[in-house]
Amino acid sequence: MSEELHARVAEKLEEVGPAVAMALEIKIDNYFDVVRGIIDDFAAKKGLITVYITASVPSSALNGALQALEVNTNGLMFVDCVSHSLMGSIQRIENTAYVESPTMLENIILKVEYFSRIAEGRKMVVVIDSFNSFAMSSEHKMLSEFLTVLMTSLKAKEAYPIVLTIPDQLKPDLKEMLTMVCDVIVPLS
Amino acid sequence: MWDMVSRGERGRCVTGIEGLDNILGGGIPLSNLVLVAGGCGTGKTTLAFEFLVRGSLMGESGMLIPTVEKKDILISNIPPFTFFNDKMLVKGQVAVTELEQVMESANLSPSKMDEAAIRKLVGAIGKMVAASKVKRLVIDSIDTITMDIKEDALNALLLSELSAVLYKNECTALLITGEETCKTIEGRVADGVIMMGNYDRRGDLLRTMQVGKMKGTSHSRSKYVIDLTPAGVLVTPLLKGGS
Repeated sequence: MSEELHARVAEKLEEVGPAVAMALEIKIDNYFDVVRGIIDDFAAKKGLITVYITASVPSSALNGALQALEVNTNGLMFVDCVSHSLMGSIQRIENTAYVESPTMLENIILKVEYFSRIAEGRKMVVVIDSFNSFAMSSEHKMLSEFLTVLMTSLKAKEAYPIVLTIPDQLKPDLKEMLTMVCDVIVPLS
Repeated sequence: MWDMVSRGERGRCVTGIEGLDNILGGGIPLSNLVLVAGGCGTGKTTLAFEFLVRGSLMGESGMLIPTVEKKDILISNIPPFTFFNDKMLVKGQVAVTELEQVMESANLSPSKMDEAAIRKLVGAIGKMVAASKVKRLVIDSIDTITMDIKEDALNALLLSELSAVLYKNECTALLITGEETCKTIEGRVADGVIMMGNYDRRGDLLRTMQVGKMKGTSHSRSKYVIDLTPAGVLVTPLLKGGS
Protein backbone atom coordinates (compact mmCIF):
# COMPACT_ATOMS: atom_id res chain seq x y z
CA MET A 1 0.00 0.00 0.00
CA SER A 2 1.40 3.37 -0.97
CA GLU A 3 1.58 5.54 2.13
CA GLU A 4 2.12 8.54 -0.05
CA LEU A 5 -0.91 8.32 -2.31
CA HIS A 6 -3.65 8.07 0.32
CA ALA A 7 -2.09 10.89 2.28
CA ARG A 8 -1.90 12.93 -0.93
CA VAL A 9 -5.62 12.33 -1.61
CA ALA A 10 -6.50 13.59 1.87
CA GLU A 11 -4.25 16.63 1.45
CA LYS A 12 -5.86 17.45 -1.87
CA LEU A 13 -9.36 17.22 -0.39
CA GLU A 14 -8.29 19.46 2.47
CA GLU A 15 -6.79 21.95 0.05
CA VAL A 16 -9.81 22.10 -2.24
CA GLY A 17 -12.36 22.28 0.58
CA PRO A 18 -16.11 21.64 0.62
CA ALA A 19 -18.69 22.53 -2.06
CA VAL A 20 -16.27 21.75 -4.87
CA ALA A 21 -17.11 18.91 -7.26
CA MET A 22 -13.92 16.95 -7.67
CA ALA A 23 -13.10 14.17 -10.14
CA LEU A 24 -10.26 11.89 -9.08
CA GLU A 25 -8.59 10.16 -12.01
CA ILE A 26 -7.47 6.80 -10.71
CA LYS A 27 -5.91 3.58 -11.97
CA ILE A 28 -7.18 0.12 -11.14
CA ASP A 29 -4.07 -0.68 -9.12
CA ASN A 30 -4.29 2.42 -6.92
CA TYR A 31 -8.04 2.14 -6.30
CA PHE A 32 -7.82 1.06 -2.65
CA ASP A 33 -5.14 3.65 -1.88
CA VAL A 34 -7.45 6.37 -3.12
CA VAL A 35 -10.50 5.02 -1.30
CA ARG A 36 -8.48 4.70 1.89
CA GLY A 37 -7.29 8.28 1.49
CA ILE A 38 -10.88 9.52 1.18
CA ILE A 39 -12.50 7.44 3.92
CA ASP A 40 -9.73 6.96 6.46
CA ASP A 41 -7.22 9.77 6.06
CA PHE A 42 -9.76 12.47 5.28
CA ALA A 43 -13.40 11.77 6.28
CA ALA A 44 -12.81 9.75 9.47
CA LYS A 45 -10.14 12.13 10.75
CA LYS A 46 -12.41 15.14 10.20
CA GLY A 47 -15.44 13.43 11.75
CA LEU A 48 -17.34 13.48 8.44
CA ILE A 49 -19.67 10.78 7.22
CA THR A 50 -18.95 9.15 3.88
CA VAL A 51 -21.77 8.23 1.54
CA TYR A 52 -20.30 5.80 -0.96
CA ILE A 53 -22.34 5.30 -4.14
CA THR A 54 -21.20 2.09 -5.73
CA ALA A 55 -22.10 1.03 -9.23
CA SER A 56 -19.00 -1.14 -9.56
CA VAL A 57 -18.76 -3.56 -6.63
CA PRO A 58 -21.48 -4.76 -4.17
CA SER A 59 -21.33 -2.89 -0.90
CA SER A 60 -20.82 -6.10 1.11
CA ALA A 61 -17.69 -6.97 -0.88
CA LEU A 62 -16.34 -3.46 -0.69
CA ASN A 63 -17.06 -3.18 3.02
CA GLY A 64 -15.32 -6.52 3.62
CA ALA A 65 -12.25 -5.42 1.67
CA LEU A 66 -12.05 -2.11 3.53
CA GLN A 67 -12.29 -3.84 6.90
CA ALA A 68 -9.58 -6.30 5.86
CA LEU A 69 -7.40 -3.30 5.05
CA GLU A 70 -8.25 -1.91 8.50
CA VAL A 71 -9.86 1.18 7.07
CA ASN A 72 -12.01 2.99 9.63
CA THR A 73 -15.54 2.31 8.35
CA ASN A 74 -17.36 4.14 11.16
CA GLY A 75 -19.47 6.78 9.50
CA LEU A 76 -19.42 4.95 6.17
CA MET A 77 -22.74 4.51 4.38
CA PHE A 78 -23.39 2.89 1.05
CA VAL A 79 -25.80 3.49 -1.77
CA ASP A 80 -25.53 0.11 -3.46
CA CYS A 81 -26.66 0.07 -7.10
CA VAL A 82 -25.11 -3.30 -7.90
CA SER A 83 -26.38 -6.01 -5.54
CA HIS A 84 -29.99 -6.07 -6.78
CA SER A 85 -28.99 -6.50 -10.41
CA LEU A 86 -26.80 -9.51 -9.57
CA MET A 87 -30.02 -11.46 -8.89
CA GLY A 88 -28.46 -13.48 -6.09
CA SER A 89 -29.33 -13.32 -2.43
CA ILE A 90 -28.17 -9.95 -1.23
CA GLN A 91 -25.77 -9.93 1.69
CA ARG A 92 -27.37 -7.00 3.45
CA ILE A 93 -25.10 -4.85 5.58
CA GLU A 94 -25.88 -2.02 7.95
CA ASN A 95 -26.00 1.57 6.78
CA THR A 96 -26.72 0.58 3.21
CA ALA A 97 -29.52 1.77 0.96
CA TYR A 98 -30.13 -0.43 -2.04
CA VAL A 99 -31.12 0.91 -5.44
CA GLU A 100 -32.42 -1.67 -7.89
CA SER A 101 -30.30 -0.56 -10.81
CA PRO A 102 -27.65 2.07 -11.56
CA THR A 103 -30.08 3.42 -14.16
CA MET A 104 -32.48 4.58 -11.41
CA LEU A 105 -30.57 7.82 -11.07
CA GLU A 106 -33.26 9.81 -9.26
CA ASN A 107 -33.46 7.12 -6.59
CA ILE A 108 -29.72 7.44 -6.05
CA ILE A 109 -30.14 11.19 -5.47
CA LEU A 110 -32.95 10.44 -3.01
CA LYS A 111 -30.89 7.87 -1.07
CA VAL A 112 -28.10 10.42 -0.69
CA GLU A 113 -30.72 12.90 0.52
CA TYR A 114 -31.96 10.30 3.01
CA PHE A 115 -28.47 9.81 4.44
CA SER A 116 -28.07 13.56 4.59
CA ARG A 117 -31.28 13.79 6.66
CA ILE A 118 -30.24 11.10 9.12
CA ALA A 119 -26.76 12.64 9.39
CA GLU A 120 -28.48 15.51 11.22
CA GLY A 121 -26.17 18.27 10.15
CA ARG A 122 -22.92 16.30 10.03
CA LYS A 123 -20.95 17.19 6.92
CA MET A 124 -20.64 14.53 4.22
CA VAL A 125 -18.16 13.23 1.73
CA VAL A 126 -20.04 11.69 -1.20
CA VAL A 127 -18.11 9.32 -3.46
CA ILE A 128 -19.40 8.22 -6.87
CA ASP A 129 -17.75 4.95 -7.84
CA SER A 130 -17.41 5.19 -10.69
CA PHE A 131 -18.11 7.55 -13.54
CA ASN A 132 -17.11 4.73 -15.94
CA SER A 133 -19.66 2.32 -14.47
CA PHE A 134 -22.48 4.84 -14.66
CA ALA A 135 -21.51 5.76 -18.22
CA MET A 136 -21.92 2.09 -19.19
CA SER A 137 -25.48 1.84 -17.93
CA SER A 138 -27.02 5.26 -18.52
CA GLU A 139 -27.73 7.39 -21.53
CA HIS A 140 -25.12 10.16 -21.52
CA LYS A 141 -27.44 13.18 -21.42
CA MET A 142 -29.28 11.58 -18.53
CA LEU A 143 -25.99 10.93 -16.73
CA SER A 144 -24.88 14.51 -17.24
CA GLU A 145 -28.17 15.81 -15.80
CA PHE A 146 -27.91 13.40 -12.86
CA LEU A 147 -24.40 14.54 -11.99
CA THR A 148 -25.36 18.18 -12.33
CA VAL A 149 -28.39 17.83 -10.02
CA LEU A 150 -26.46 15.76 -7.48
CA MET A 151 -23.40 18.04 -7.48
CA THR A 152 -25.53 21.17 -7.12
CA SER A 153 -27.43 19.71 -4.20
CA LEU A 154 -24.25 18.52 -2.49
CA LYS A 155 -22.52 21.84 -2.97
CA ALA A 156 -25.50 23.56 -1.35
CA LYS A 157 -25.02 21.25 1.64
CA GLU A 158 -21.29 22.13 1.83
CA ALA A 159 -20.47 18.48 1.19
CA TYR A 160 -17.39 17.08 -0.52
CA PRO A 161 -18.58 15.50 -3.81
CA ILE A 162 -16.02 13.17 -5.38
CA VAL A 163 -16.30 11.31 -8.69
CA LEU A 164 -13.90 8.41 -9.23
CA THR A 165 -12.94 7.88 -12.84
CA ILE A 166 -10.54 5.72 -14.81
CA PRO A 167 -9.52 8.08 -17.63
CA ASP A 168 -7.86 5.46 -19.87
CA GLN A 169 -11.27 3.85 -20.43
CA LEU A 170 -13.20 7.02 -21.27
CA LYS A 171 -14.22 8.24 -24.71
CA PRO A 172 -13.57 11.96 -25.46
CA ASP A 173 -17.25 12.97 -25.12
CA LEU A 174 -17.37 11.48 -21.63
CA LYS A 175 -14.16 13.27 -20.65
CA GLU A 176 -15.78 16.47 -21.85
CA MET A 177 -18.86 15.78 -19.75
CA LEU A 178 -16.74 15.22 -16.67
CA THR A 179 -14.99 18.53 -17.26
CA MET A 180 -18.39 20.22 -17.47
CA VAL A 181 -19.89 18.76 -14.31
CA CYS A 182 -16.80 18.83 -12.08
CA ASP A 183 -14.98 21.92 -10.86
CA VAL A 184 -11.62 20.22 -10.40
CA ILE A 185 -10.08 17.17 -12.05
CA VAL A 186 -7.17 15.64 -10.17
CA PRO A 187 -4.96 13.07 -11.92
CA LEU A 188 -3.59 10.48 -9.46
CA SER A 189 -0.96 8.53 -11.29
CA MET B 1 -44.59 32.90 -12.67
CA TRP B 2 -47.53 35.04 -11.60
CA ASP B 3 -46.73 36.86 -8.42
CA MET B 4 -49.47 36.15 -5.90
CA VAL B 5 -47.81 38.23 -3.19
CA SER B 6 -48.75 41.48 -4.89
CA ARG B 7 -52.45 40.50 -4.58
CA GLY B 8 -52.23 39.66 -0.90
CA GLU B 9 -51.29 36.00 -0.68
CA ARG B 10 -53.35 33.64 1.49
CA GLY B 11 -51.84 32.03 4.53
CA ARG B 12 -50.18 28.65 4.05
CA CYS B 13 -50.50 25.29 5.59
CA VAL B 14 -46.85 24.24 5.61
CA THR B 15 -47.08 20.51 4.94
CA GLY B 16 -43.64 19.86 6.47
CA ILE B 17 -42.84 17.66 3.48
CA GLU B 18 -39.95 19.77 2.28
CA GLY B 19 -40.08 18.81 -1.39
CA LEU B 20 -43.84 19.34 -1.63
CA ASP B 21 -43.62 22.71 0.12
CA ASN B 22 -40.96 23.79 -2.36
CA ILE B 23 -43.14 22.71 -5.30
CA LEU B 24 -46.04 24.72 -3.85
CA GLY B 25 -43.97 27.80 -3.07
CA GLY B 26 -44.32 27.42 0.69
CA GLY B 27 -47.18 25.03 1.36
CA ILE B 28 -50.86 24.46 0.59
CA PRO B 29 -52.95 27.64 0.71
CA LEU B 30 -54.83 27.54 4.00
CA SER B 31 -58.19 25.70 4.00
CA ASN B 32 -57.72 24.24 0.53
CA LEU B 33 -59.40 20.94 -0.21
CA VAL B 34 -56.87 18.89 -2.12
CA LEU B 35 -57.29 15.58 -3.91
CA VAL B 36 -54.32 13.20 -3.75
CA ALA B 37 -54.91 10.96 -6.72
CA GLY B 38 -53.13 7.88 -7.96
CA GLY B 39 -53.03 4.13 -8.34
CA CYS B 40 -52.06 1.47 -5.83
CA GLY B 41 -48.63 1.70 -4.21
CA THR B 42 -47.90 5.21 -5.39
CA GLY B 43 -47.49 6.61 -1.87
CA LYS B 44 -50.79 8.48 -1.39
CA THR B 45 -51.48 7.22 2.13
CA THR B 46 -47.86 7.69 3.23
CA LEU B 47 -47.84 11.27 1.96
CA ALA B 48 -51.13 12.05 3.69
CA PHE B 49 -50.03 10.47 6.96
CA GLU B 50 -46.79 12.46 6.94
CA PHE B 51 -48.88 15.59 6.34
CA LEU B 52 -50.74 14.85 9.59
CA VAL B 53 -47.67 13.91 11.63
CA ARG B 54 -45.67 16.95 10.49
CA GLY B 55 -48.65 19.09 11.39
CA SER B 56 -48.77 17.55 14.84
CA LEU B 57 -45.08 18.33 15.31
CA MET B 58 -45.91 21.96 14.46
CA GLY B 59 -48.73 22.00 17.02
CA GLU B 60 -51.62 21.52 14.58
CA SER B 61 -54.24 18.88 15.39
CA GLY B 62 -54.94 16.38 12.66
CA MET B 63 -57.75 13.96 11.94
CA LEU B 64 -57.66 10.90 9.75
CA ILE B 65 -60.92 9.36 8.56
CA PRO B 66 -60.15 5.92 7.12
CA THR B 67 -63.07 4.74 5.01
CA VAL B 68 -61.84 1.25 4.17
CA GLU B 69 -59.37 0.01 6.76
CA LYS B 70 -60.27 -0.55 10.38
CA LYS B 71 -58.48 1.71 12.85
CA ASP B 72 -56.36 -1.08 14.40
CA ILE B 73 -55.19 -2.40 11.04
CA LEU B 74 -54.40 1.10 9.86
CA ILE B 75 -52.35 1.85 12.96
CA SER B 76 -50.38 -1.37 12.55
CA ASN B 77 -49.50 -0.29 8.99
CA ILE B 78 -48.29 3.19 9.82
CA PRO B 79 -45.05 3.97 7.93
CA PRO B 80 -41.96 3.68 10.15
CA PHE B 81 -41.29 7.43 10.28
CA THR B 82 -38.49 8.28 12.69
CA PHE B 83 -40.34 11.49 13.61
CA PHE B 84 -43.60 9.71 14.47
CA ASN B 85 -44.46 8.73 17.99
CA ASP B 86 -47.39 6.50 19.06
CA LYS B 87 -48.18 9.09 21.75
CA MET B 88 -49.44 11.36 18.98
CA LEU B 89 -52.33 8.94 18.53
CA VAL B 90 -52.94 8.49 22.24
CA LYS B 91 -52.95 12.23 22.94
CA GLY B 92 -55.23 12.81 19.98
CA GLN B 93 -52.79 15.08 18.14
CA VAL B 94 -53.50 12.75 15.23
CA ALA B 95 -57.03 11.46 15.79
CA VAL B 96 -58.24 8.44 13.84
CA THR B 97 -62.01 8.27 13.39
CA GLU B 98 -63.51 5.57 11.18
CA LEU B 99 -66.09 6.64 8.62
CA GLU B 100 -68.54 4.27 10.30
CA GLN B 101 -68.32 6.36 13.48
CA VAL B 102 -68.90 9.57 11.54
CA MET B 103 -71.89 7.99 9.78
CA GLU B 104 -73.32 6.73 13.08
CA SER B 105 -72.98 10.15 14.67
CA ALA B 106 -75.10 11.54 11.82
CA ASN B 107 -77.56 8.60 11.78
CA LEU B 108 -76.61 7.81 8.21
CA SER B 109 -76.54 4.71 6.07
CA PRO B 110 -73.82 4.60 3.38
CA SER B 111 -76.20 3.14 0.82
CA LYS B 112 -78.50 6.18 0.82
CA MET B 113 -76.34 9.14 -0.12
CA ASP B 114 -78.86 11.71 -1.33
CA GLU B 115 -78.57 15.47 -0.93
CA ALA B 116 -79.86 15.46 2.65
CA ALA B 117 -77.46 12.66 3.64
CA ILE B 118 -74.52 14.50 2.11
CA ARG B 119 -75.33 17.63 4.06
CA LYS B 120 -75.66 15.58 7.27
CA LEU B 121 -72.35 13.81 6.68
CA VAL B 122 -70.51 17.06 6.01
CA GLY B 123 -72.20 18.57 9.05
CA ALA B 124 -70.95 15.70 11.22
CA ILE B 125 -67.39 16.08 9.90
CA GLY B 126 -67.64 19.82 10.47
CA LYS B 127 -68.68 19.32 14.09
CA MET B 128 -65.73 16.99 14.74
CA VAL B 129 -63.31 19.40 13.08
CA ALA B 130 -64.62 22.33 15.10
CA ALA B 131 -64.78 20.43 18.40
CA SER B 132 -61.16 19.24 18.24
CA LYS B 133 -59.86 22.38 16.48
CA VAL B 134 -58.61 20.16 13.67
CA LYS B 135 -56.35 22.02 11.26
CA ARG B 136 -55.48 19.07 9.01
CA LEU B 137 -57.96 16.52 7.77
CA VAL B 138 -57.32 13.40 5.70
CA ILE B 139 -60.04 11.17 4.24
CA ASP B 140 -58.58 7.88 2.97
CA SER B 141 -60.22 7.32 0.56
CA ILE B 142 -63.01 9.59 -0.61
CA ASP B 143 -63.93 6.99 -3.25
CA THR B 144 -65.74 4.89 -0.65
CA ILE B 145 -68.13 7.78 -0.13
CA THR B 146 -68.43 8.98 -3.72
CA MET B 147 -69.04 5.52 -5.17
CA ASP B 148 -72.42 5.50 -3.42
CA ILE B 149 -73.29 8.83 -4.99
CA LYS B 150 -74.53 8.25 -8.51
CA GLU B 151 -74.92 11.82 -9.73
CA ASP B 152 -72.06 14.21 -10.54
CA ALA B 153 -74.03 17.11 -9.11
CA LEU B 154 -74.20 15.40 -5.72
CA ASN B 155 -70.48 14.63 -5.77
CA ALA B 156 -69.86 18.30 -6.52
CA LEU B 157 -72.17 19.19 -3.64
CA LEU B 158 -70.24 16.92 -1.25
CA LEU B 159 -66.95 18.60 -2.09
CA SER B 160 -68.26 22.16 -2.13
CA GLU B 161 -70.05 21.69 1.22
CA LEU B 162 -66.93 20.13 2.71
CA SER B 163 -64.86 22.96 1.31
CA ALA B 164 -67.11 25.53 2.99
CA VAL B 165 -66.87 23.75 6.35
CA LEU B 166 -63.08 23.53 6.10
CA TYR B 167 -62.78 27.18 5.15
CA LYS B 168 -64.82 28.21 8.18
CA ASN B 169 -62.54 26.18 10.47
CA GLU B 170 -59.26 27.10 8.73
CA CYS B 171 -58.68 23.41 8.16
CA THR B 172 -56.71 22.07 5.19
CA ALA B 173 -57.71 18.68 3.80
CA LEU B 174 -56.23 15.92 1.71
CA LEU B 175 -58.78 13.58 0.16
CA ILE B 176 -57.30 10.41 -1.26
CA THR B 177 -58.66 8.95 -4.45
CA GLY B 178 -57.69 6.20 -6.84
CA GLU B 179 -59.46 7.93 -9.70
CA GLU B 180 -57.86 9.88 -12.52
CA THR B 181 -59.16 13.17 -11.24
CA CYS B 182 -58.77 15.30 -14.37
CA LYS B 183 -61.76 13.48 -15.80
CA THR B 184 -63.99 13.63 -12.74
CA ILE B 185 -66.24 16.24 -11.24
CA GLU B 186 -64.24 15.99 -8.00
CA GLY B 187 -61.10 17.12 -9.82
CA ARG B 188 -62.91 20.13 -11.19
CA VAL B 189 -64.42 21.14 -7.84
CA ALA B 190 -61.36 20.54 -5.61
CA ASP B 191 -58.98 23.43 -4.88
CA GLY B 192 -55.98 21.30 -5.66
CA VAL B 193 -54.93 18.03 -7.23
CA ILE B 194 -51.70 16.21 -6.40
CA MET B 195 -51.16 13.35 -8.83
CA MET B 196 -49.15 10.38 -7.63
CA GLY B 197 -48.04 7.81 -10.14
CA ASN B 198 -45.58 5.29 -11.44
CA TYR B 199 -43.25 6.22 -14.26
CA ASP B 200 -41.86 3.35 -16.28
CA ARG B 201 -38.49 4.21 -17.77
CA ARG B 202 -37.14 1.20 -19.65
CA GLY B 203 -38.42 -1.18 -17.01
CA ASP B 204 -37.46 0.95 -14.00
CA LEU B 205 -40.60 1.89 -12.12
CA LEU B 206 -40.19 5.25 -10.43
CA ARG B 207 -42.74 6.70 -8.00
CA THR B 208 -43.75 10.18 -9.12
CA MET B 209 -45.62 13.21 -7.85
CA GLN B 210 -46.98 16.15 -9.83
CA VAL B 211 -49.15 19.04 -8.73
CA GLY B 212 -51.75 19.48 -11.47
CA LYS B 213 -53.73 22.21 -9.79
CA MET B 214 -53.54 24.31 -6.64
CA LYS B 215 -55.76 27.34 -6.19
CA GLY B 216 -54.24 30.33 -4.41
CA THR B 217 -50.61 29.82 -5.35
CA SER B 218 -48.32 29.63 -8.32
CA HIS B 219 -46.63 26.25 -8.30
CA SER B 220 -44.38 23.94 -10.25
CA ARG B 221 -46.22 21.71 -12.73
CA SER B 222 -43.22 19.46 -13.35
CA LYS B 223 -43.10 15.79 -12.52
CA TYR B 224 -40.96 14.75 -9.55
CA VAL B 225 -39.63 11.40 -8.37
CA ILE B 226 -40.32 10.51 -4.75
CA ASP B 227 -38.97 7.99 -2.27
CA LEU B 228 -40.83 6.81 0.82
CA THR B 229 -38.24 6.69 3.59
CA PRO B 230 -38.23 6.62 7.40
CA ALA B 231 -37.16 10.28 7.17
CA GLY B 232 -40.34 11.05 5.24
CA VAL B 233 -41.31 11.45 1.62
CA LEU B 234 -38.28 12.73 -0.28
CA VAL B 235 -38.61 14.51 -3.61
CA THR B 236 -36.27 15.19 -6.54
CA PRO B 237 -36.94 16.40 -10.10
CA LEU B 238 -37.54 13.74 -12.74
CA LEU B 239 -34.49 13.66 -14.98
CA LYS B 240 -35.30 14.29 -18.61
CA GLY B 241 -31.93 13.71 -20.21
CA GLY B 242 -32.33 16.58 -22.62
CA SER B 243 -35.52 15.10 -24.10
